[in-house]
Amino acid sequence: MAQKIISRDDLPHFVNKLIRKYEVIAPVKEVNTKFKQVNSFDEIYLDGITEVPAKEFFIPESETILEFKKGRAKEVSRHIKKRVIFGLRMCDLNAIKILDSVMFDKNYLERRKKTFLVGIFCENPDKYCFCNSMELENYFDLFIFPDGDNYRIAIGSNKGKRLVRGIKTSDKDIEIPKPKNKKVLKNKNIEKKYRNKAFEEDARKCLSCSACTAYCPTCNCFDFKDVSDFEGNSKRIRRLSSCMLKNFSEVAGGKSYRDSRLSRFKHFIFHKLVYFKKQKGRYMCVGCGRCLRVCPTKIDWVNTLNKMGERK
Amino acid sequence: MSYEPKRYKIIGVKSFTPDVRLFRVKCKLDPKPGQFLEVSVSGFGECPLASCSHMPEFVDLLTRRAGNVTNAMFNLKEGDSIFIRGPYGKGFPVEKLKGKNLILVAGGTGIAPVTSFINFVEQNRKSFGKVFIYFGFRDEKNILLKDRIERWSKKFNVHICLNECEKHSYEKGFVNDVMDKHKPEVENTVALLCGPEAMMDAVTKELKKLGVTHKNVYWSMERRMECGFGSCGRCQIQDVYVCKDGPVFRYDFIKSRLDNERSSERWSE
Repeated sequence: MAQKIISRDDLPHFVNKLIRKYEVIAPVKEVNTKFKQVNSFDEIYLDGITEVPAKEFFIPESETILEFKKGRAKEVSRHIKKRVIFGLRMCDLNAIKILDSVMFDKNYLERRKKTFLVGIFCENPDKYCFCNSMELENYFDLFIFPDGDNYRIAIGSNKGKRLVRGIKTSDKDIEIPKPKNKKVLKNKNIEKKYRNKAFEEDARKCLSCSACTAYCPTCNCFDFKDVSDFEGNSKRIRRLSSCMLKNFSEVAGGKSYRDSRLSRFKHFIFHKLVYFKKQKGRYMCVGCGRCLRVCPTKIDWVNTLNKMGERK
Repeated sequence: MSYEPKRYKIIGVKSFTPDVRLFRVKCKLDPKPGQFLEVSVSGFGECPLASCSHMPEFVDLLTRRAGNVTNAMFNLKEGDSIFIRGPYGKGFPVEKLKGKNLILVAGGTGIAPVTSFINFVEQNRKSFGKVFIYFGFRDEKNILLKDRIERWSKKFNVHICLNECEKHSYEKGFVNDVMDKHKPEVENTVALLCGPEAMMDAVTKELKKLGVTHKNVYWSMERRMECGFGSCGRCQIQDVYVCKDGPVFRYDFIKSRLDNERSSERWSE
């Protein structure tokens, strides 16, 4: 699809125009950097990847999914206003593609339908970023990237086309550039390395705190919790959970099938690189590096896998 | 895909032991043998259970009081309602089993999916060869579905194996030991197993010894199936979801996956 061109100075106007029409969610810097609804372009923070991913706008940390009232169970339907998530990096966009293939409930579908994904090129990846290793694809409604003194807007869908009506079309499309990140995951084909001893060093450092999975833009695992009131009604809440937690694989009676930190740690990495690839034909990791960035004990599994490759 | 369960009426409750009850629920969900249902008690939660009957008009939930939801179920009486969604999973590969001799092995409440299949065999007796049933329980008091077992004893080759046993009408020992003593037919035979994994391990080993290869052994597995359709991740065994790829797996398919997971379980920190 054709690309549009705007000058660098016109980007704020473009975004402010979106804000007048839609609910716009974009990166902001508060206690940490995260996505939040903004009222003006000035609030937006675009220097670097956000610490917190945008997944909460599709799968909230905790959400009522069912209500039991007067002896009936009813799924809670949410009305979502049309909204734009602006400022998603290519890693974040690919993460949403992954969520699209594992989330099937109607509120997720409703949220996706009502959301325009507007990506932006990552001009300043940090030392944890390794997205170029993860075979990312173009997946967006719009994607903005620099082209000399201008920005180009690539259109990824008919939905996206609606947002750029009236903007100058370029004569010729150019390819979306790749971010300049230095970290590389050399060794992704680890299927046969499940029993490699190198995982044990990392697992020893792991606190099972689940920060990696909480900050991961693709981790969607959840469980249910019922809460009741004093009138005999109750509701079922879906909460994000984590395979890093011992009770995640627990069955009635107390047996936990991934009881050891090692097996949980490996499950996380293998799910990202091996299991998901087998199930859906692509990696579940997008190389955003958030798990490495937030790990309190600085576990660098990318490095561990790279070393594994050298040893064979 | 929906998380919304429907309300159904409990039309009978039968107590077997202080911990195990059978809840008969009127519904036309008609799960295939080996499939499971997500059963809810409002305010307490949801848990995966298999029906132990194969009937179009009702499901039988053979329930051991073991967790939050099953404990809450024990407060329910005939006439009360219960919420169910499903059925989920693939169940036993019924079509592939036709024309075969069957070895059906189960322990404790693990008999539920297997008994549902036995029901199916009764309804389609001519489609199957000889049937050998080995059920393991702790002792005589813990024998479940006694009436059905008596009925089946007249039709099939039934062995009840008890860990502690005084009477001669039952057999003492683990299922695999009893099987070693009273050997089943192994030619053109498929074995279906459900129970604690340690039991299924021992039985699978014994079956191999007797001549039933791993590709003719099916395990019905227990995991925490939360959503039922491969979204929540709780029941994953490596790259498979027990809820949607199982809960019944051919042993040669699941073995390497289990071996891997167990290898890291043995890790000492």
